[in-house]
Amino acid sequence: MATITATPGLGTRSAEGAAIRAADLLRWSLDHKVIGLQYMASSLFFFIVGGTMAMLIRWELLTPALDLMADGTQYNALMTIHGSVMIFLWIIPMMAGFGNYLVPLMLGAKDMAFPWLNAFAFWLIPPAGLLMIAGWLVGPPEAGWTAYPPLSTLFSPDGQTMWAMSLHLLGVSSILGAINFVVTIRNMRPEGMTLWKMPLFVWAVLATAIIQVLATPFLTGGLTLLILDRTAGTSFFDPGSGGDVLLWQNVFWFYSHPAVYIMILPGFGMVSEVLAVHARKPVFGYRAIGLSSMSIALVGFTVWAHHMFTSLQPALRIPFMITSMIIAVPTGIKIFSWLGTIWGGKIRFTAAMLFALGFITLFVFGGIGGIFLAAVPIDIHLHDTYFVVGHFHFVLFGGSVFLIFSGIYHWFPKMTGRRMNERLGQLHFVTTYIGTFFTFVPQHIAGALGLPRRVAMYDPQFTNINTVISLAAFLLGISSLIFMYNILRSLNHGERVGGNPWRALTLEWATTSPPPPWNFRGDPVPFDDPYGYGSDESGAYLDAVDRRFPAPEESAGA
Amino acid sequence: MNPGNNSNSLMTVVWILVAFVLLVVGGLIIAEATPLVLPPAASAEAVQVDELFKILMALGGSIWLLVQGAVIYSVIRFRARPGDDSDGAAMHGNSTLEFVWTLIPSITVVILSIISFQVWVNITTAQDNPQVVEARGARFLWSFSYDIPGETQRVNSTVLHTWVGQPVVLHLETADVNHAFWVPSMRIKQDLLAGRSTEARFTPILAGEYPVVCAELCGSGHGDMHASIVVHEDEASFLDWFDDEAYIILNPPDDPAEGGELLMTAGGVAGLYACAGCHTLEALGWDAIVAPNLDGVADRAATRVPGMEVERYLLRSLFFPGEFLVPGYDNLMPQHQYQDPEEANYMPLDEALNIVAYLCTLTASGESACNVDMLPDMMTDMGMG
Repeated sequence: MATITATPGLGTRSAEGAAIRAADLLRWSLDHKVIGLQYMASSLFFFIVGGTMAMLIRWELLTPALDLMADGTQYNALMTIHGSVMIFLWIIPMMAGFGNYLVPLMLGAKDMAFPWLNAFAFWLIPPAGLLMIAGWLVGPPEAGWTAYPPLSTLFSPDGQTMWAMSLHLLGVSSILGAINFVVTIRNMRPEGMTLWKMPLFVWAVLATAIIQVLATPFLTGGLTLLILDRTAGTSFFDPGSGGDVLLWQNVFWFYSHPAVYIMILPGFGMVSEVLAVHARKPVFGYRAIGLSSMSIALVGFTVWAHHMFTSLQPALRIPFMITSMIIAVPTGIKIFSWLGTIWGGKIRFTAAMLFALGFITLFVFGGIGGIFLAAVPIDIHLHDTYFVVGHFHFVLFGGSVFLIFSGIYHWFPKMTGRRMNERLGQLHFVTTYIGTFFTFVPQHIAGALGLPRRVAMYDPQFTNINTVISLAAFLLGISSLIFMYNILRSLNHGERVGGNPWRALTLEWATTSPPPPWNFRGDPVPFDDPYGYGSDESGAYLDAVDRRFPAPEESAGA
Repeated sequence: MNPGNNSNSLMTVVWILVAFVLLVVGGLIIAEATPLVLPPAASAEAVQVDELFKILMALGGSIWLLVQGAVIYSVIRFRARPGDDSDGAAMHGNSTLEFVWTLIPSITVVILSIISFQVWVNITTAQDNPQVVEARGARFLWSFSYDIPGETQRVNSTVLHTWVGQPVVLHLETADVNHAFWVPSMRIKQDLLAGRSTEARFTPILAGEYPVVCAELCGSGHGDMHASIVVHEDEASFLDWFDDEAYIILNPPDDPAEGGELLMTAGGVAGLYACAGCHTLEALGWDAIVAPNLDGVADRAATRVPGMEVERYLLRSLFFPGEFLVPGYDNLMPQHQYQDPEEANYMPLDEALNIVAYLCTLTASGESACNVDMLPDMMTDMGMG
């Protein structure tokens, strides 16, 4: 299958075996590992930016009146930028970072199929982030991350145009990155690795990339129309001149619902890896997990209008309810398969595993909330309330972000040659879990009781519940600081590890930590079954890997 | 089916049954919390929606307990003991089990879809003899306009009055951006879409006063955009309420200032003015903060533009709100016009005159700051009328 391999000589690569330094992240590099870390570092930066905004939002909402903000517009701008940053500059690029770093390694390849394109896709992100933040300072967009016209066309100031341009760049970046993944995964697998022997993370990235290639053009196309309406006097969305406000909603959600899966599917892939490795057991129902990723990607294209149950023509609501309910089936298959994976295992409670297990318990709550929202008669009541806010934070924070944390704890040793501190990891997990539960469960209740979303002022009957939410959110803020401290500390002081500290079977572990510039010395031979734990053959294979890439003798130098 | 468990298959079946019963009971207990997480059901539709909600609570509760239970059990039962470096069993799957956990959720979502569809049909079926209400959303105020049975007057109000058992149909239109008309206690929500007319319906079953909330982001005053629905016990008490309203409408006060106050609360020929959506005015119970405070506005109007009379300042502010912006506030007010009754933001000159007369009385002393008799001349002077 290895028909295409990256041509050596692309760009300069540091001396054999040299670790990637912080300064390398600021330079143009064609090495997928540098690019992966560039994505991750920039995403973590924007996580802090967006998280700070979340703290300001929760501070404002401690009381029913305006206190921190001067007026509602300031609050609207804050929550608009919070949402846009978290989605487009934190979760999506973070997942792209994992994909870039891991996919070539998992395939035993030297790099991605198109290294230059890969670097170009990343370098669209800094100017996009700059545009978005600059727009906030110029005249902030105030129409939410969904930017419904006419609020976003006739009313929101110039920052809205910059916001749209920023998202446009990010959309292009996302499409280019995705094309690269599809080509890489289709063509650069090593001898012997069929589609059905790929690691599930690679399956998930493939499904994600297909969604990105097919859906993201709708976002960029819609944004083009929005920018034209705002700057060139067109009226695609202005009913006063023959436009239609529902056109935007349809186009926007045709991208933005699949985008939900862009944000979660790579995480599904990561959790499949983490659970198998740390429970020391083969993934339960490998094919079902791989196929369910693909069916989620497919069905995900048919459900977009469930975001429009209160604006869509009534006759169209029921069909979209049915497709939305159907998507619960492949999601359920995944959850049960993960339970089957840990059932009968030998579970190691590493920080990576804790976040993976925590993810299962939280994500199922988010999924059940999703069923409530899919049922049209109930969604009519819950639409645009804090129930929705609680729901999507459950699946994005309790889902995607928990999996990002899990993935960082799991692959940090591979990326840096050092393990993150497990005790801090446990503290991070406990505080994050409690914070997540008590921030987002009460939001469901407040929404069902009558609290609309996107409000800076609210009915005083919600004061107590908002206080609980804010205090729990502040705990999440603290827990994130613990995490950042752990990363920074472990970069220099973490325990040194060999090539395969978790004794995992996928190929990224069959090289040094961190891997050399071209990933492998010689052509790596994948173990026949990436999840063949519990067999004598896999034990022998892992022992051989350990002998070839042993942990350093001396204790970690400080 | 159970690799960690060596007991015979009979015991496995017993344990599965026990777990099943526990999950069902647990789900039913969780479903009992439904009334705690929803506002009182005040419409016939709400009762049906709540029944569906309860079903989902029971089902979702069971699934939640199942997954939590499985994770907690695994974490305890299958944790690696200290010193145990071995792997778990090399088990790759179980086709029967995988088939079962694909089939059961599939059947479940089909049933849920059918039940939801039935509820949807029930709550959207048109009722006979509805009270037809024209509802309008304007940043940041709701207004309702409706006929009274057997009367000729039409009511314009920020409060929608109706009575128990009377089906209500709302025709929803927006004056500016999208809004969403949400009555939590009635479980109805419908977006107001720029350039389109939409519809919502409900039948109240419980007397009381219920908040109307805007649920679609519409700008700075979004969080403060609310109104209320008053459900009277029966048609008789509804008409009793109306008699008082009708008296005021049928006997407009002669005094221009009093007439202006009525215009600002009950609307004019073009319906309700949206002043309350943005301004604070304690005397009328307004507390919005998007636009300048109107308490004592006549005192400030006298000093805002050197050499300009209070009357002229207030009048120009009604028709050219961008002309004198109070520092710290944006130009968000609708620009009224007196030329064309068919166009948006119509405010006839006689109504404008009365409103200015009323605003002139908003002084610290309570004495009018204006000479109301001057106003018509001033209008001519400004090229109006």
